[in-house]
Amino acid sequence: MVTLTSYLIVSAALLGIGVYGLSVKRNAIRILFAVEVIVNAANLNFAAFTRYMNPPQVSGQIIVFYSIAAAAMEAAVGLALILVAFRLNSTIDVRKLNKLKG
Amino acid sequence: MVVFPPTTPAELIALILRVITSHTFITIIIFPGFIHLTLVVIFLTWYERKLLARIQLRIGPLYAGGPGGILQPLADGVKLIFKEVMIPYKASKPLFLGIPLMMVFLSALPFAVIPFGQHWVIANIDVGLVFVFAMTSLFPSMILIFAWASNSKYPFLGGLRSLFQQVAYEIPMWISTLSVVLLAGSLNLVDIVKAQEKMWFIVPAFLSFIVFFIAIMAELERLPFDLPEAEPELVAGWYTEASGAIFMLIFMGLYMKLYLMSSLVTVLFLGGWWGPAFLPQPVWFIIKTLIVATFIIIPRGVYPRIRVDMLIKTGWTRLLIIALANIFLTILLINSGLLAAWGI
Amino acid sequence: MVSLVIPSDISFVVLTAVTIIGAIMALQAKELIYGAIALAISFIGIAGFFALLDAPYLAMLQIAIYVGAVVVLILFTIMLVRRERGEEMDKRTDAAEGSMGLWLAGLLALAISGVVALAGTSLPTQAPAASLPVSDLGPALTLQYPVPLIILALLLSAALLGALVLAKVER
Repeated sequence: MVTLTSYLIVSAALLGIGVYGLSVKRNAIRILFAVEVIVNAANLNFAAFTRYMNPPQVSGQIIVFYSIAAAAMEAAVGLALILVAFRLNSTIDVRKLNKLKG
Repeated sequence: MVVFPPTTPAELIALILRVITSHTFITIIIFPGFIHLTLVVIFLTWYERKLLARIQLRIGPLYAGGPGGILQPLADGVKLIFKEVMIPYKASKPLFLGIPLMMVFLSALPFAVIPFGQHWVIANIDVGLVFVFAMTSLFPSMILIFAWASNSKYPFLGGLRSLFQQVAYEIPMWISTLSVVLLAGSLNLVDIVKAQEKMWFIVPAFLSFIVFFIAIMAELERLPFDLPEAEPELVAGWYTEASGAIFMLIFMGLYMKLYLMSSLVTVLFLGGWWGPAFLPQPVWFIIKTLIVATFIIIPRGVYPRIRVDMLIKTGWTRLLIIALANIFLTILLINSGLLAAWGI
Repeated sequence: MVSLVIPSDISFVVLTAVTIIGAIMALQAKELIYGAIALAISFIGIAGFFALLDAPYLAMLQIAIYVGAVVVLILFTIMLVRRERGEEMDKRTDAAEGSMGLWLAGLLALAISGVVALAGTSLPTQAPAASLPVSDLGPALTLQYPVPLIILALLLSAALLGALVLAKVER
């Protein structure tokens, strides 16, 4: 029996995984992975709510649509930033990229 | 009467018979499913070699069984199965073996939504066209992963070139089909074909047909967009290190993609299964698809290869602009009511 | 007529497993590329969830954009940012950091699940029978919410130009 609560718990679990990755990992690309996981958790949450509402609303699907597009854009710009950071410092360890010099 | 779960052998046989003759089973396994796809892919490899041979004033496969070497692909398949599969040093084994399987799977999966006849479609979903494009957008990433997993220079460079090319031509491919969606009013492939009953969409959407045709030739990496496979430079591009059964899987995946793109052209532009009633509908579909496949194969024997900067420039600028302009033209055409006589 | 409809419970469990294991492997895999592939599998799991929630267009869009474009970008960046194959770019996290992260994530997930469980009776348990057809999305995007659409277009252009300018190599 699949209820709304089960979808929300899956979404919360994904959020937890994403927050763990965001706070612990050092590699900038893994942090990007974690951010994408968090955004996907939020999308799942929206999609689950838009299905279980009565009467069904289309605004939930619209929000997910925009969220997918915005997250793709953010990934593109984030990856370009990682490339530039690597070119300048030859490391993508975020513990070392903590100087604004240069 | 069919009883589930069956308790006696007679009931089991009745259940099996019932499953085998059900529409779902026939469409998935026989037509247009497994068996049909495999046979057509085998036929297409033979057909391409014969056709190119005739263009180049040769004869092509001749000796392998039957007239005209019709069993040549089977002979090739048997040879490839018995060849040794060499995995390069420090290449990633699970990726090397798994990605070709995924490629064949992904090439065959969109056939689930392509309608071969009015009732010959496996899954009549409302977003059929977007499903096909979602599946074809997975190819560049798989090619890149396979090229990286081969752990050697030539495949990697070929994989990068192939990635550039396929990503650049995906967008004109998608946008040029928007005109067809506007004309048909639905993303469902069955509805798109049904709307072409009176007039094939190649007539009002001729420019997008041209753009789509060029874009799929670039997606399929056929000459003249052959750069990722440039033989004198890159040996065989991203599948250089594939040998034996792995190469056979990749080869099958490529030809299945050719059949997929040809049948997409048929569905979107050439009226799908519509034709005079003396032949059944799926036969018309296959005839039209084979004609399109012929026109995709012929340039391989005729044109030289395009340079990489011309390739990318054409994909991102010229084709995109023509496709966008065609959307506006289509909107103008629909709103002007010129196509009302044909039900659009 | 033999029906091939898989019960939605089984597919929910399978999709949950695929998504969560994919997300965990994306963060824990030793090689970044295996992590990217696991992330792609996790995205496909989420697309399966969308399909299960009667949003097929969103599912296809998720596959096409995330797995088809974002994962390719990530793979490309990983290949440009590596020094040598086999060299680990990610040092092992030590126990203190790891446990701090686990506590943080666990508390967050527990808090949200607690809120969800407390609101238990006010949440709908049964999905309404009718769901939205795909053709509702178009009018909603253009007629009901046109301003976010234009803003999205501007944002896309800004992101495209920004990424191009950033990644350009100065000669």
